[in-house]
Amino acid sequence: MSEKITRRNFLKLTTAGAATAAIMTGCGPASRYVTREPYVKMPEYTYNGLSTYYATTCRECAAGCGIIVRTMQGRAIKVEGNPQNPINLGKTCARGQATLHGLYNPDRVENPVRQGRSAPQLSTAQVSWDEAIQTVSDALSKTNASEVAFLMGTAPDHLFDLVSDLADAIGAPAPLRFSALSMFEAQATLSKAAEDLLGQAGLPFFDISNADVVVSFGANFLETWLSPVAYTRGYAKMRRSRPRTRGYMVHFETQMSQTAAKADEWIPLLPGTEGLVALALGKLVAQLKGISAPRAFASVNVQQVVETSGVSMEQLTRVAELIAESHAPLAIPGGQALGQSNGLAAAEAILALNALADNFGQPGGVLLSPLAPNSGAHRRPANAQEMSDLVAKMKSGKIKVLFIHGVNPLFELPQSFGFAEALHATPTVISFATFPDETALASDYIFPDHHGLESWGYQRSQTGVMQSVLSGSQPVVAPNYNTRATADVFIEAARLAGGKFAQALPFADEVEFIQSKIENLIARTDGSFIAPEINAFSAYFQQHGGWWASSAESDSLSAANALGKSLNVSSVAASIGENEFFFLPFVSPTLGEAGANKPWLQELPDPTTTVMWNTWVAMNPETARELGIENDDVVRIVSEAGSVEAPVYKYPAIHPNAVAMPFGQGHTAYGRFAAGRGANPTDVLAPSFNEAGDLAFAGMKVRIEKTGKQQPLSRLESRIGVYGEGMYEEK
Amino acid sequence: MQMTVDLNRVGAKGAIAEAAEGKWGMSIDRDLCTGCQACVAACAMENNISFVGEEDAGYGRTQHWIRIERFWEGAYPNVKIAGGYQPMMCQQCGHAPCEPVCPVFATPHSDAEQLNLQVYNRCIGTRYCANNCPYQARSFNWRDYHTMPERGNMVNGKLVFPLHNQFNPDVTVRRRGVMEKCTFCIQRIHKAQDKAKSEGREVMDGEFAPACAQACPADAITFGRIDHKDSLVSQRSNEGRGVKHLEDLNTLPRVTYLKEG
Repeated sequence: MSEKITRRNFLKLTTAGAATAAIMTGCGPASRYVTREPYVKMPEYTYNGLSTYYATTCRECAAGCGIIVRTMQGRAIKVEGNPQNPINLGKTCARGQATLHGLYNPDRVENPVRQGRSAPQLSTAQVSWDEAIQTVSDALSKTNASEVAFLMGTAPDHLFDLVSDLADAIGAPAPLRFSALSMFEAQATLSKAAEDLLGQAGLPFFDISNADVVVSFGANFLETWLSPVAYTRGYAKMRRSRPRTRGYMVHFETQMSQTAAKADEWIPLLPGTEGLVALALGKLVAQLKGISAPRAFASVNVQQVVETSGVSMEQLTRVAELIAESHAPLAIPGGQALGQSNGLAAAEAILALNALADNFGQPGGVLLSPLAPNSGAHRRPANAQEMSDLVAKMKSGKIKVLFIHGVNPLFELPQSFGFAEALHATPTVISFATFPDETALASDYIFPDHHGLESWGYQRSQTGVMQSVLSGSQPVVAPNYNTRATADVFIEAARLAGGKFAQALPFADEVEFIQSKIENLIARTDGSFIAPEINAFSAYFQQHGGWWASSAESDSLSAANALGKSLNVSSVAASIGENEFFFLPFVSPTLGEAGANKPWLQELPDPTTTVMWNTWVAMNPETARELGIENDDVVRIVSEAGSVEAPVYKYPAIHPNAVAMPFGQGHTAYGRFAAGRGANPTDVLAPSFNEAGDLAFAGMKVRIEKTGKQQPLSRLESRIGVYGEGMYEEK
Repeated sequence: MQMTVDLNRVGAKGAIAEAAEGKWGMSIDRDLCTGCQACVAACAMENNISFVGEEDAGYGRTQHWIRIERFWEGAYPNVKIAGGYQPMMCQQCGHAPCEPVCPVFATPHSDAEQLNLQVYNRCIGTRYCANNCPYQARSFNWRDYHTMPERGNMVNGKLVFPLHNQFNPDVTVRRRGVMEKCTFCIQRIHKAQDKAKSEGREVMDGEFAPACAQACPADAITFGRIDHKDSLVSQRSNEGRGVKHLEDLNTLPRVTYLKEG
């Protein structure tokens, strides 16, 4: 940042006035923001009545969709998709749209505070940023490096890179990343299965758009799974982009999710039998094709699979015929199939189905997601096992300082992990939360980061598109409150600590750090733009909302490795506990993991039940009848690990031996729209893991107790429901 | 075999006015709609629609200008959502049942855009129009939701509403006692028309889209001129899967739903 061009002169040089995203470069940190002015006093560069648009990246999940934010006089008005970004091509999901309700949420952490673990209230003991940086600096430099832990969310990537570099340089353990989404997606299991069968760890890309038969095993790719906007586009293309071919979709899942509802056939099965069903399908497909069953599928007893899974022989045969006759069949392993004690074997069995169809590396098949341009190997989020290890270390006093950013483990990790006690045993906990969430309120300090729309940064694409994509973020509005970029806090704190700390982060500020991370892209000529030097490159990077390879990558994968492997899905997944009902937590399609504080997301009806603003227990009407339970009766779900209460929603599309609950509500903090609302299904999950270290969340068994209480659920579908009319007639 | 008659072609009542130019319409592909609610959120953000909270939502007072309907068919295990998810919003009827019942002409039919308008400062809140809408597309402001004190923060003795920063200045913020409904994002239509006019040309097909169509990740919603037979929306509407809802009421809806399969 050596050149001193004032913002005003710079904008005169460029034509950043009206319609397209403005370019900003060469400015000092203070002038990097568009100031928010009252409507009567307008910034000089805006025209009355005309909007300014800024390209940036959505941070509501880790997918890295590019967005363009419409601003008026320094206020963010509307989120629109960035049509150039290959991940979402101009589209957004509901959570992306509602990100403005996070930005302008009335409950934000407005100042750095000495929180003093005074949950449930946000402390008013304000500290100055100088004190805050001193605190972080002391925590870094006066603690043994091995006793410092960094816990991060899955977005943004630039901060993760910065903290990784810092941890590496000072000899601290590498930062852990965690999110409930990655836990419910069982990302570690998918990554491990890909490593075993495709030869490279990471999230494979499933080319749904070119497949003609899609067999999904609980992969809810139209909701929250991995990169939902990209996969929804794939789904739409699969259905309607080809003349005379409408892709066919089969979905195996215990309850009908929003994704299952779009399948041509939804086939309910018992949780934990997905791997067996995949093996049985493999054997049948091999028979139909007249080839001897590969080793992977040889040992399975199809008749036994029929008995244990609840999928009939006719259904299995029909799906096998569909796969055998298809030119491009595709099998997708989803979170519920992998979050089981036999999850890894199930993932491999499902991926092996693709090997049998010889679609590895083929259009309409399974491909390796290209790595983002500035990343080394794929670094997956922490699995539940690693989180459990962190908790154990904290409890035994081996962690003296914990830094938390972008994740809310008190809410997102099951209570049975004991994170609350672990926090208690950790002498210093510093949170960088933007919102007063549970974990932030239980910390010693909160040094609030900007909201994603007030921030610089970048996010790597992990899957969903066959191009190498780095989505870039820039502030679209000036920070609303006295917040500071966590990257800047670390850079300042490291400088203050001096020595190896200062050497680890030798940057003037966050923007210089980001530039150092994208500098190597200047030499690449195969990207969305070229620029001769870093200032121009960063300007384009902001203007386009990132950098991506201009063409899709192709790869050659061999299926031999997968089929020769002996897959040992010998039995049904072990269930946890002796109770009667399977318990199926799933991430709310509208709220995601962190949407509960955004009121418009709360008011979006759940796509399958149409319930708003609350948590429900989905129960088969027949089961409810046997138990004498009606709609809106509050039940207690009890497992070995804990219990949770919520009203029943009689859901016609769930296996009679299972109950399902959405994850996303049940906050005790996190602002007025989230706190004290609904229940958290992770309260009944036990810390039980599969071979890849992911939580075996779909194997929990629970019992159901009546409480005698009633709580009317607000739902869109029945406008007369809460008046008590028309609700109790169906006996 | 059931005969279907295009009332627009045969010149039924209302159809003459409909033949005028400027006819905007929409097609919604139910085969593609995944029920993801992106359109609902985008609509709310674009049009300053207020959320109403859990209790009022339970009483059916939600202000969704667009909502996703789903109807069950069959029983477990052969249960499915009949025909797929169905986004429902004001159908911008050519012959609208809501229009003639308004005692104060707050819901007239515009000549320029051929849309059903809602004039907020005329509306006196009789709710006759909502009562008469067969699509249940209208919603009523039962309270001053935007300025409910519990949504604001006290700052120096003054109630401030951070959420108000997000308001779209192109769209009126409605108050209590007023009816509202989908406008086909008329502010975006006007903006595109103004731009085209200043450049001395016609509005191009696909030049702009309402918030719902713009957000839709599955591209299920198409918007454009249905009086231009080459426009994408006309092509999609006429490709053979098209259905108009409650057509037998002779409402002449502007939205064509494309069947699954």
